Amino acid sequence: MADGDRRDPRLDRRDVLKIAAASAAITSTLGVRRVLSAGQAASPRFFTTSEYSLVDELAEEIIPTDSHSPGARAARVAAYIDGELADAWTAEERNEWRDGLAAIDDLSRRTSGKTFLEATPAERVALLTAIASKEASPESAAEKFFVTLKSRVAFAYYTSEIGIHREMEYQGNVYLQEFVGYDVRTEK
Amino acid sequence: MPLLRFLQTPQPDADLTRTYDAIVVGSGAAGGMAAHVLTSKGLEVLMLEAGKKLDLDRELKSMEWPYEHPRRGQMPPGHHALTLNEYTIRQPPYGAGQPYDKVYNYIQGGNGADYSRNFMVDEKDHPYTGTRYAWVRARTLGGKTTIWGRLALRLSDYDFKARRRDGYGEDWPISYKDIAPYYDRVDRYLGISGVAEHLPHLPDSIFQRPTRLTAAEATLRAKMAAMGRTVTPYRAGVTTDGLEHNKYRSRCFGRGACARRPGGCDIHAVFDSPTGLIYPAQDTGRLSLRTNAVVREVLVDERTGKASGVAFLDAETGRAYEARARVVVLAASTLESARIMLLSKSQAHPNGIGNSSGHVGHNFCEHIMGPGVRGLVKDRIGAPRTIDDGRPGGFYVPRFRNLKERRTDFIRGYGFEGSAGNSMFAASDQPGFGADYKKRVRDLSGAYIEMGGFGEVLARYENYVALDPNTTDRWGIPVLRFHYQFGDNEKKMCEDMANTAQEMFEAAGFEIVGVSRTPLTEGWSIHELGTARMGSDRRTSVLNQFQQSHDVKNLFVVDGSSHVSASCQNPTWTIMALAWRSCDYLAEEFRRGRL
Ligand SMILES: Cc1cc2nc3c(=O)[nH]c(=O)nc-3n(C[C@H](O)[C@H](O)[C@H](O)COP(=O)(O)OP(=O)(O)OC[C@H]3O[C@@H](n4cnc5c(N)ncnc54)[C@H](O)[C@@H]3O)c2cc1C
Ligand code: SF4
Repeated sequence: MADGDRRDPRLDRRDVLKIAAASAAITSTLGVRRVLSAGQAASPRFFTTSEYSLVDELAEEIIPTDSHSPGARAARVAAYIDGELADAWTAEERNEWRDGLAAIDDLSRRTSGKTFLEATPAERVALLTAIASKEASPESAAEKFFVTLKSRVAFAYYTSEIGIHREMEYQGNVYLQEFVGYDVRTEK
Repeated sequence: MPLLRFLQTPQPDADLTRTYDAIVVGSGAAGGMAAHVLTSKGLEVLMLEAGKKLDLDRELKSMEWPYEHPRRGQMPPGHHALTLNEYTIRQPPYGAGQPYDKVYNYIQGGNGADYSRNFMVDEKDHPYTGTRYAWVRARTLGGKTTIWGRLALRLSDYDFKARRRDGYGEDWPISYKDIAPYYDRVDRYLGISGVAEHLPHLPDSIFQRPTRLTAAEATLRAKMAAMGRTVTPYRAGVTTDGLEHNKYRSRCFGRGACARRPGGCDIHAVFDSPTGLIYPAQDTGRLSLRTNAVVREVLVDERTGKASGVAFLDAETGRAYEARARVVVLAASTLESARIMLLSKSQAHPNGIGNSSGHVGHNFCEHIMGPGVRGLVKDRIGAPRTIDDGRPGGFYVPRFRNLKERRTDFIRGYGFEGSAGNSMFAASDQPGFGADYKKRVRDLSGAYIEMGGFGEVLARYENYVALDPNTTDRWGIPVLRFHYQFGDNEKKMCEDMANTAQEMFEAAGFEIVGVSRTPLTEGWSIHELGTARMGSDRRTSVLNQFQQSHDVKNLFVVDGSSHVSASCQNPTWTIMALAWRSCDYLAEEFRRGRL
């Protein structure tokens, strides 16, 4: 890599304001990260409170807090999914979640005699391990729902502030003075 | 609040009582260029655009983070983007019978689609029928240039004179030397970024500062050089050094929005027709613009057989109007210009204006997409994050087939577009769940490299569009019926594309994660071309080498409908170079009173 790459190629905020003044850039979006109202009390719009807790727990099982970064619960993944479903256009989408969550609890009752939330951590993991093993070719209702659940949880988490900045440590979406990387002109 | 924005000088209203020197229909790459060249040559021009004028900056919001948007960049409930599956199983019109409020083409299914939806047509208002086709239409000032992919390539005599090499189809009525000076002008006027590679089949542009390759892309470049193939930084229709002569456009600051979403550069480093061509043309004081003006047909003076103007409908009120001009320039995009010509039936032109050859709508061609490869770069797994997507595009692999060697299974060629490294959207498609899953996504996300091919679809008379006798659009205008299919040459080419893609990644030492071999639906490349081709024989072509109708000398068609073959290079830079050349000619003929 070129030497230049070790410099911080990002422009500082003052420079960016200058660019904005000198071109048609909009300043309202200049990298100011709006802090969303994290931690506000959950009052679900679509889920019942128990469904909400179940989604919140499932999401955290799929993307847990670890030593690297907070997980799905901190990123308020359940709240995001709840909002999406409350606004969803077709009843199919909502039914898929309502029925899917019921299928997870059914399965949990059959395997451990308890609902998913009542089950022990080891029982939860065992249940999810079983349905996740069929991810590529799901058959049962719970297995099919897992595919939907995981893809929405991943979308909500990896587009969240925590997902983008703390987990993935994404560096882009900034104003660069110079492009970064391998320069074909110098072959360096 | 914006600190400062370059407001345009107030513009005159379109005046329907006067006769303009020229009417330009459409405001995309072709229409914008026509407006620029004709006004700079002193002509008084009226531009009619079917879509709305939108405040691009406010629509695009390039730097907005996904979590700052209420739906993380997705379209509102009730707005639906067609899926590949729907294109395959549904019968067009695709919007018909759908439970949604609005139905869009597949492009709107991607990340950040909410920022471009207002540019795109609602399939429900704009039906079409016939064979399956993923037709992507933007109706707004700027047309598809508001969301285009920016890859800006030249054609060469390997394209213009392809028939001489393989005996197929027709040669273009021009060669590279005719168009080269106009490619140069487009480069200088609009800005293009890239690296000179001195390839005879992919001529270099007058490049501004290039973007850079990521580590894995540089590896691929080095390995391919040994195989005699080129991997070059994305040739982007982006001004990376800035343009002194254009106050509406900033230079590129590597924010990557344009590569992340369909449509993205709110500082207009990416070329779009409004800031690149139309606003400057308006500043000459010689361009009048009317948006929401849906042109229905070219009007004809039955005495002379010449074009006298156009008839149009107001998109909002549906009211009918006429506008008059000495010259009519169609630039409504390949398929829409053909539609207007077919709709323009008169005593003098019973098959549609300019269609004495019967070729309007025919020889319809494009690019085929689908085959490609995804690889994993071992030494990037778990590597510290770098900014890999701070640029308008990744890399391009120019065509390497049927240049020196001759394949026996197919003619013509294909190129690849690709990229590697970290991006804003994590590659979350790992199996499993829990801490292991989370770590795998984290470690692998920046370690992928991908590329996909774009191949030439041969121009065939049998592939065509015609007017549908039964179906009309929301404004009561007959719509197009498609009769279009890929042929055997394309299928063979696609097999080779998948094989060479895999072979190149293997040679570079990448672990193959997946190879796709199946072509996507017809139309997927958004490079439709050829429905009113140029030629020197008026029995088998619609336009002459200056995109002037053989039949009607004051009618020009300056968009991709004039292309004789598709080549495998993306068309927009060629559309603009040709439009510039033709409008130079038009202005000179006009001055001499010969139109
Ligand atoms: C997502 C995407 C990615 C692309 N990527 C690339 C790329 O990387 N490289 C490349 O070279 N090309 C690319 N293209 C293609 C490129 O956008 C087109 O080649 C180019 O815009 C064509 O210009 P045009 O003027 O012919 O048509 P358009 O840009 O479509 O403009 C036509 C205009 O005419 C208007 N119009 C239509 N009908 C009427 C009517 N009846 N009356 C009045 N006005 C009318 C439309 O509203 C529109 O504004 C891409 C396109 C898309 C959508
Ligand atoms: S990378 Fe450059 S061209 Fe693309 S959005 Fe950013 S500034 Fe615009």
